[in-house]
Amino acid sequence: MRKILLLLLCFPLVVNGSENQAKVIINEMEELYRGTSSEVSMTMQVETPQYSRSLGMFGQTLGKERAIFRIISPKKDKGITTLRRGKEMWNFFPKINKVIKVPPSMMIGSWMGSDFTNDDLVQETKLVEEYNLELITDSETFLIILTPKEDTVSLWGQIDYLIQKDPLLPLKQSFFDDYGTKVRELVYKDPKVFGEKLLPSAMEMIPLNKPGHITKLFYNQLKFDPEGVSEKSFSLRELKKRI
Amino acid sequence: MFINIAFRNIFRQKRRSILTGLSISAGYVLFTLTLSLIEGSYSNMIKLFTESHIGHIQIHSDDYLTRPKIYKSINDKSKIEQTLSADKRVISFTPRAYSPALSFSDEKTGPVQLIGIDPEKEPTVSRLREKITEGNFFNNSQDAGDKVHALISKGLAIKLDLEINDEFVLIGQGADGSIANDIFIVSGTVGSKSSPDKTSVYVPLTTMQAFLSLDNNVHEYALLIGDISQAQIVSQNLQSELSDFVVSPWQVVEEVFFKSMEADKQGNWVFLALVMIIVCIGVLNTIFMSVLERTREFGVMRAIGFRAVGLVTLIFTETILLTLLSLFLGILVALPLVLWFSEVGYMFPEPMDMGGIEFQHLKGELSLKVLFVPMGIVFLFATLTSALPAIRASRLTPVDALGRF
Repeated sequence: MRKILLLLLCFPLVVNGSENQAKVIINEMEELYRGTSSEVSMTMQVETPQYSRSLGMFGQTLGKERAIFRIISPKKDKGITTLRRGKEMWNFFPKINKVIKVPPSMMIGSWMGSDFTNDDLVQETKLVEEYNLELITDSETFLIILTPKEDTVSLWGQIDYLIQKDPLLPLKQSFFDDYGTKVRELVYKDPKVFGEKLLPSAMEMIPLNKPGHITKLFYNQLKFDPEGVSEKSFSLRELKKRI
Repeated sequence: MFINIAFRNIFRQKRRSILTGLSISAGYVLFTLTLSLIEGSYSNMIKLFTESHIGHIQIHSDDYLTRPKIYKSINDKSKIEQTLSADKRVISFTPRAYSPALSFSDEKTGPVQLIGIDPEKEPTVSRLREKITEGNFFNNSQDAGDKVHALISKGLAIKLDLEINDEFVLIGQGADGSIANDIFIVSGTVGSKSSPDKTSVYVPLTTMQAFLSLDNNVHEYALLIGDISQAQIVSQNLQSELSDFVVSPWQVVEEVFFKSMEADKQGNWVFLALVMIIVCIGVLNTIFMSVLERTREFGVMRAIGFRAVGLVTLIFTETILLTLLSLFLGILVALPLVLWFSEVGYMFPEPMDMGGIEFQHLKGELSLKVLFVPMGIVFLFATLTSALPAIRASRLTPVDALGRF
């Protein structure tokens, strides 16, 4: 009898514990890529049945809310820059000298023709705050199932986040729509050491509803807490800087 | 014998015969002219319509025509150009590329349809150059800078508040998924304020290909052929030679226009039927009267032993002869009239706007159809209408007939 009572008492604690642990794990995943500030040089490869193209990019991030990405190559697109500050986002086109704010309605639109959405550049940090977390553990992996909280406006009905236990690295994110159909997959690959941290150096975004489409992202260089990255690096003036 | 008697009868009552004949001739002329003008205005409209932009035949890749996608492009240009150059019926052809884009001027924005054209070949197919109301067609020597000249529709120029030599910005989606963006300079405006086209922007094809990362690809070939009525046949022949592509005559390219035009044409037959009924009533009236007038004459003929069948044959022969003579006269009058309408035509003082095509020229069409369809119909009706009085006359008994007048 006492045993049962004890069990009943403990049960909510266990659930809470698992949610907290999930939070910790996700926060850690995000810390992996970000640090307080970072500087990244990467290659984005977009493949579709009709075309494939490769973009060289240089990016800087500060905390969770600030990021700026500049296209370095090809020549035609050189200088096109994306700035995000919190929920706001702007694109700058040097050829026409125009800054275009990305309206909220365009947030699910493609970013630079890739399978990443504009939202992907902004949303990721909010996982912990806007989703209910459920942790399922097995011997080698953690599976965190994220479902949007009641007042969260989300594109996804559910996100399954698969994480490797040792070393603690993300493996895969699966995105489901409101009807429970898997819509896209983000796969993490090729862990490499950048600075002192080990983290996946490649990502593949696969939209499952568009056969033949895939976007691959390769990190060529990743520096944490670099010099010269400050709040100023994420101003609209900086956005319009020509390279 | 009947023919002799019939001739004699016709010429015996000259005034009656001339009146009957004139009503038939006039009916025929009216009918022919109406048909000629209806056919003519359609041909004229089709000509204006196809030569304005779409051409007589178009070639696309895949189902670009119904579901345009920027990457459904034609990359084997040489094969198409060789085939088209080899075909004697093809007068001229030009490649084009299309894409939607967003335009920005200083303050205003608006959606546009971007059209890439070959500055040298385009004027041989469409009237683009003639439609320029301000400024110039593309200069062959582009300025040294990377700013490119573009022709924009007058409606768009007004909407975006642009004058000649003003700059504007276009943003679109490239074929490789990139964001196409560049500054263009207005070199001329196309059409007038009231033209329905308020979104077109024309740029040289090479510029367009660079702007949209299209490589050397195009979306469409538009061509003119010598005889537009052959469009469907030429299109089929070309299709068999160019099996990798889709060849469509203008009837398919502008299916909606074509279908509504066909429906409209059907409607016109109602009008023609009315004209025809009026003509027939005239013919019926004169023939009927001329038979009635001769009741006594027929009575005498019956009395001296002329058979009823003979009487019917006689009346028929008379009518046929008279109709033939009148139609001959009719064609003598109608031919110069139709010829004048088809060659010169009538200019409206004010141009009419029909479905976006301005047309000011009322023109007729001269064809075998226009001349002989009315002829057949009038002949048939004249003969048929004479049947009624003929049968009536044959049923008369000599006593009744002689006693009546």
